Amino acid sequence: MMRVGLIPDEKGGTYRLAMLALSCLGLLIAALPVVIVVIMSFAGSNRPSFPPSSYSLRWYGDVLHMLTTADANGGQSVARALQTSLLVAFAVMVISAAVCVPLSYAMARGPARLRQTLEILFTLPLVFPLVMLGIAFLLMAEGMKLDLGLWRLIIPHVTLVLPFVMRNCQSAMAGIDPEVEEAARSLGAPPWRGFLNVVVPMMRPGILAGLIFALIISFNEFTITFFMYTIDVNTLPIWMYSRTVSSLDPSVLALSVFIILADSALIILTDKIVAGKASLF
Amino acid sequence: MTSRLDYKPAVLLSTPALVAIMPFLAACLYVLRFSFSADESSIAGFSVSSYQALADTYFLSALGLTLKLAVFSTVLVLVLAVPLAFLLATTRSPFLRRMLTVAILLPMILNLLIQAYGWIILLGPTGVLNTVLRSTGLITRPLFLLFNETGVLIGLVQTALPLAVFPILSATRAVSRECLEAAASLGAGHWRTLFDITLPVLRPGLIGAASIVFAFNASAFAIPLLLGGRRVQMLGVVIRDMISPMFNWSSAAAAGVVLIAITTLALVLASWATNRSAKKEVR
Repeated sequence: MMRVGLIPDEKGGTYRLAMLALSCLGLLIAALPVVIVVIMSFAGSNRPSFPPSSYSLRWYGDVLHMLTTADANGGQSVARALQTSLLVAFAVMVISAAVCVPLSYAMARGPARLRQTLEILFTLPLVFPLVMLGIAFLLMAEGMKLDLGLWRLIIPHVTLVLPFVMRNCQSAMAGIDPEVEEAARSLGAPPWRGFLNVVVPMMRPGILAGLIFALIISFNEFTITFFMYTIDVNTLPIWMYSRTVSSLDPSVLALSVFIILADSALIILTDKIVAGKASLF
Repeated sequence: MTSRLDYKPAVLLSTPALVAIMPFLAACLYVLRFSFSADESSIAGFSVSSYQALADTYFLSALGLTLKLAVFSTVLVLVLAVPLAFLLATTRSPFLRRMLTVAILLPMILNLLIQAYGWIILLGPTGVLNTVLRSTGLITRPLFLLFNETGVLIGLVQTALPLAVFPILSATRAVSRECLEAAASLGAGHWRTLFDITLPVLRPGLIGAASIVFAFNASAFAIPLLLGGRRVQMLGVVIRDMISPMFNWSSAAAAGVVLIAITTLALVLASWATNRSAKKEVR
C-alpha cells in the first residue's frame, strides 16, 4: 500500500531489496551465534561438528548432575557459582532500585541545575571503559587490603547498572503530574505519604523494568568480575570461562541454553511491562 | 503548597544514590593518581615516567590496532543498523516487532562468553562455515576467520549492533511521511530520498550512535580476549597484561587514562558536531 516510507511496501526496486538484505544480514549476525549454541547443545558426539551427527540430551543431564551433586573441589562448583551470581544480582537489584527511586524523584521535582548535574554524574559509568572499571576496583581493593566478601562484586556491579535503573525510573517519573501529590496533600497527607502511597505505585512499571535490567546486567557481567573474582567469590560466567579456557566443553553449551532462555524471558517481560510507553534504552 | 523541591531536600533524596556511586568516583581518581606514581606497584611520589614508557612500539601498535578496529566496526555497524532501524520502524505487527527487538537486543543482554562460543563453533577451522563452504566446493582450504583480526571485527560488530539500532530508531521519528511523500511526488527515487532527505535528517542520531559504538569498541575487552586468542592485542587486553603477568600497575593506569581520553574525546567530538549542525540549520 505504502509507496513511500523508510522501507516501501512495494515497488521499492533495488532500494527495498538492499534494505531488506542488509536487515537480514544484521539479524543473522546478531542472532546466529546464539542459535548455533542452542543447536550444538543437543549434539550427541564429544567433538563439536556441524551439523551434529546425532542428537541427545546428554549434556543437559550433565548440567543437572553438576548442579545437584557437590563437587570435590568446592571453589569450582557450578552450584556455588550460580548461588553467588544470584545473590550478587539480587543485592544489586535491590540496592540500585532503592537508591534510584528517591534520586529520580529529586531529579524530576528538584531544581533544573541539580538535575543536569546528576544526569551527567549518573551517566558517567556508561561511557567508562569496563576493563578500566575492573582494574580500578581491583587496584583499590588490593591497595587498601579490604576484605569485602560478596561486596567485592556487588559494589562495582551497582555502579554498572545505576545508569540503566536511573533512566528507567526517570522515564517513569516523567509521566507523573505534580498535581496528584498536591491532591494527596490537600487531603491531609504529609509529603512522604504522598510520595510513598501515590508516586511510587504510579512509578511501578519503570521501577520493575529497572529491577529486571539490573538483574540481567549483573547476572551476565563478565569483564569486571574477571578482575574482581576470588576463589571464594566467583560467578557463573567466570565458572564457564575457567571451564572452557583450553577447549569447548559441550555441557557449558547446555548451561548456556538455560541462561539464554532465562534472559530472553526477562527481556520479553520487561518489554511487556514497559509496553511501548518508553524505550528500553 | 507546591510539589517543587528546594535544593536541600532534593540533595537529601539523592544522597543514597550519591553514596552508591562514590566507589566509582573514587576508582576514577585512584587510577588517575596511580598513573602519575613514581613507583610501579604502589602509589608513591609524582612522575610522568609511566606515560613516557607508553611511547614504545608495543603500546603504540596496540593503540593503532584498537583505533583501526574501532573505526572499521563503527562503519560496518552503521551500515547494518540503519536498515534494521528502518525495518523496526516500519514493522506493523506488534508480535513481529517484539521478536525483532528481542533478536536485536540479545547480543547486548547475553553473557559475552556464550556469544563467543557461538562464533568459535561457527568460524573455527573445522567450524560450521568452513564445513559448509568446503562441502559446496567453494573453497578447498579452510578460511582462517578466528583468533585473528577478522574474528575480533565480527565479534565487535555483533556486540555493538544494538547500541546503534535503538538510537537510530528513535531518530527516525523525526523523518516525517509528508517529507518523504513530497520527495516522491517531485520525482526523487528511493535512493535519492535516502541520501538527500532521510540520512541528513537522521544525522544527529547517526553521529550519536557512531560515537557510542566507537567508544564501546575501542575499550572492548571480552571479545578480543575470547575471539582474538592472544594474537589481537587491543588496548583492553594489553592493559590487562600489564596488570597480570607484568605487575606494572602504574603503566596500566596510564594506558587506561589514555583509553578513557580516547573514548571521552569521541563522545565530546560527537556532541560538538551535533550542536554545530543544529546551529547551522537554525541559520
